[in-house]
Amino acid sequence: MKRRWLLSLMAGLALMAAASAQAADPVRIGFAISKTGLFAAGTGSQFDTYNFWKDQVNARGGLDVKGVKRPIEFVWYDDQSDPGKAVQIYEKLITSDKVDLLLAPWGTPAHIAVSGVVERYKFPMVGDSAASVKLRELKPGNLWFTTAVMPDRFGPVIADALKANGLKTVAVLTPQLPFALEVKSFLMPALKKNDIEVKVNEEYPPSIKDMTSLLINVKNANPDAVLVFSYPADSTLYMKQARENGIAAPFQFVMVGATESWFTKQFGAATDGIVTMGHWSPKVAAWKKAQPFFDAYEKQFHEAPDYLDSALAYMSCEILEQAVAKAGLDKDGIRKEISTETFETINGPVKFNGVENATTPASLLQIQGKSMELIWPPSIATAKFEKKPAWPAN
Amino acid sequence: MQAILSWQLLFAALVTGSIYVLVALGLNLVYGTMRLLNVAHGDMVMIGAYVSYWLFTLSGLSPLLSMLIAAALTAALGALAYVGLFRRLLANRQLVQRLEGNSLLLFFGISIVIQNLASLAFDSTPRAYQYLDRVVAIGNLGITENRLAALIVTGILSLVIVLFLRFHIYGLAIKALMQHREAATVVGIDVERVQILSFCIGFGVAGLAGALLSMMEQITPFMGFPFTIAAFVVVILGGLGNLLGGMAAGLLLGILETYGVALTSPSLRSVLIYGVFILVLLVRPQGLLGGKRVVR
Repeated sequence: MKRRWLLSLMAGLALMAAASAQAADPVRIGFAISKTGLFAAGTGSQFDTYNFWKDQVNARGGLDVKGVKRPIEFVWYDDQSDPGKAVQIYEKLITSDKVDLLLAPWGTPAHIAVSGVVERYKFPMVGDSAASVKLRELKPGNLWFTTAVMPDRFGPVIADALKANGLKTVAVLTPQLPFALEVKSFLMPALKKNDIEVKVNEEYPPSIKDMTSLLINVKNANPDAVLVFSYPADSTLYMKQARENGIAAPFQFVMVGATESWFTKQFGAATDGIVTMGHWSPKVAAWKKAQPFFDAYEKQFHEAPDYLDSALAYMSCEILEQAVAKAGLDKDGIRKEISTETFETINGPVKFNGVENATTPASLLQIQGKSMELIWPPSIATAKFEKKPAWPAN
Repeated sequence: MQAILSWQLLFAALVTGSIYVLVALGLNLVYGTMRLLNVAHGDMVMIGAYVSYWLFTLSGLSPLLSMLIAAALTAALGALAYVGLFRRLLANRQLVQRLEGNSLLLFFGISIVIQNLASLAFDSTPRAYQYLDRVVAIGNLGITENRLAALIVTGILSLVIVLFLRFHIYGLAIKALMQHREAATVVGIDVERVQILSFCIGFGVAGLAGALLSMMEQITPFMGFPFTIAAFVVVILGGLGNLLGGMAAGLLLGILETYGVALTSPSLRSVLIYGVFILVLLVRPQGLLGGKRVVR
C-alpha cells in the first residue's frame, strides 16, 4: 500500500516536471532584418522595438500561448538589404530552424519577396514597415499590412493635405523603389483632381549620391511643396543639399527616416517643419496604449520611439501576441484569428480587410520644433500644419 | 537647360571629382610601382572616415586636423600590409609573374576582413556629425563650408603630390620604379624603401580622403566599396600607373557624372559612367592619357 502511494507520488511529480518543462519551453520567433546595406540606416528602430516587445513579454512571464506562458526566443539573420537573401532566410527559418512564429523583415521590397515563402508554407506573418497595392491585388492569405499608409490611400491623403493648406504647385522626386513608385502612381491623379500643378516630376536610383541637378530644377520651378518619397539615405542627402541649394518651399516632405531619433540628432534645427509619413502619436487620447508605450520605450532607450517604424513593429507584435493567446501556435488558427478579429493596439483598434489595415487612417506627421505632430487628416490631428521656416544658417 | 549653366552644378561636379582624384591617386600609386591591384583601397577610405568621426565625437578634434592622424594610421596599415604580406611575394621571382592576379585575391580577402571587423567594432548603423556645416551664399550659389574645405584640401594635396613626384628624390625614385623596375634597381634605387613608401602614401591618401568624406557623408563599414570601384574606373580611364592621367580622369568622371545626370536622368548615372568607361577602353585601351606608360 505504502509502495503504491510512493509510486503514484513519483508519477505525479514526473508529470508535473514534464508540464513545467513544457511551460518553460521557449516560443521561437524568427525574422530577417537589414543590418547592413542600403536600408540599414532605417531598420534600427524596428529591430529595437522587436527586442523591446520580447523583453516586456518575457518580464510578464512569457508569451501567452492559449493560457500557457512561454518565454520568447528570437532567431534572426541579416538580409543585407537584399530581398533575395530575405527569401532564403525565411525558407531557412521555416524549414530548418523550425521556428514557431515569424515577424516581418524591414521594408516593402523584402515583404514582397518573402510573401511567396509564407504563402508556400502557409505560415501566417503580420507585416509592418511595408505596403503594396500590387501585392494586395494578389490576395495573399498569410501576410497582412499593419500600416495605414497603403499607397492608394496615402497618395490622395497627401493631395488633400496640400489642397487644404492652399498649396498649388508641387515638385515630386521619387526613388525607384516599389512603395515609393506605387504611392506616386496614386498621388498623380489625386493632384490633378485637386488642381495642383506638378512642376517637377523626376525619378532617381535609390543609391543616389548627389541630388544637385534635381534640386536646381526644383529651385528654378519654385513650387509650394516638395515631395521626396525618399528612404533614409536619400532623405539625409535631401536634407543636406536642399539646404545648400536654398529650397524654400513651405511644405517639404521626406518619406522615410525623419521619424527616427538619429534624424533629428543629425540635423537639429534644420528638421523644423519637415513633413513625413506616419500615422501614430502618443498624443491621441483615444489610443489608450500609446502614451504608456512611448514612456516605457523612452525609459529603456533614452530616446523617443520612431513614430513610424517603432509604432508599426510594436503593433505587429501586439496583433501576433493577441492572436496566439487565443489560437495557440496553430497556423490555421492564427490565420483565422488575424483575418477576422479586431486588435487593440497602440495605434487604436486594428481590423484587417483582406491584407489591409482597414481602421487606422492614413496620415502625415510634421516635425514642429522638437515635437512630432500629426497634421492630417483633421480627425486625428494633434496640431495644424505650419509652413517650414527658412533653413538655419548652421 | 538653366541647370547646366549653374555654378551650383559646377561646384558639385568639382567636389565629386576631387574626391575621385584623391582616392584614385593612392590606388594608382600602388599599382604603378608594384602592379598590385588593391581592391581593399576603399576600405582605407572607410577607416579614415571612422578615425575622424570618433576623434570628433569623443574629443571634438577637427577633422581637418584628425585627417592627418587618419592618414598616418592608414599609412601604417599600408606599411604593415607590405611588410607582412607583399614583400615576400614581390621578392619571389616565380610569384611575381602572377602577382597582379594574386594581389587582387589577397586584397579582396583583406577587404572582407576589414569590413566585417569594422562592422563588428562599430556596428553598421550609419554615423555622421556636423562640422563646418554652415551654408555660405555667394550670389546664387550656396556652398556648405565642409564641401568647400574638402575641395581646397584635395586641391592642395594633389598639387603637393605632383610636386613631390617631380622634384623630391623619392618622388623621382617612385617614377623611376614605375617606368622600369629593373633599370631602377640597376641605377641604385633602394626598391624596398620606395615600395614601402608607395604603400604608405597610397594608403595614407585614401585615409585622408575618408576623413574629408566623413564631414559630408554618412559613414558605414561598407561605404568603401563604391569608392574602390570609382577609383578603378578613374585609374583605368587615366591609364593604369599614370598619375597625372588619373588626376585628370578623376575630375573628368566627377564632371561627367554630375553633368551627364543633369542632362539626362539620375537613373542613367551608372550607364553614363560605365558607358564612357567601355568606350574609352575600346577606343584608347591604354587610357585617355596613357601613352607608352610615360610618367612625366
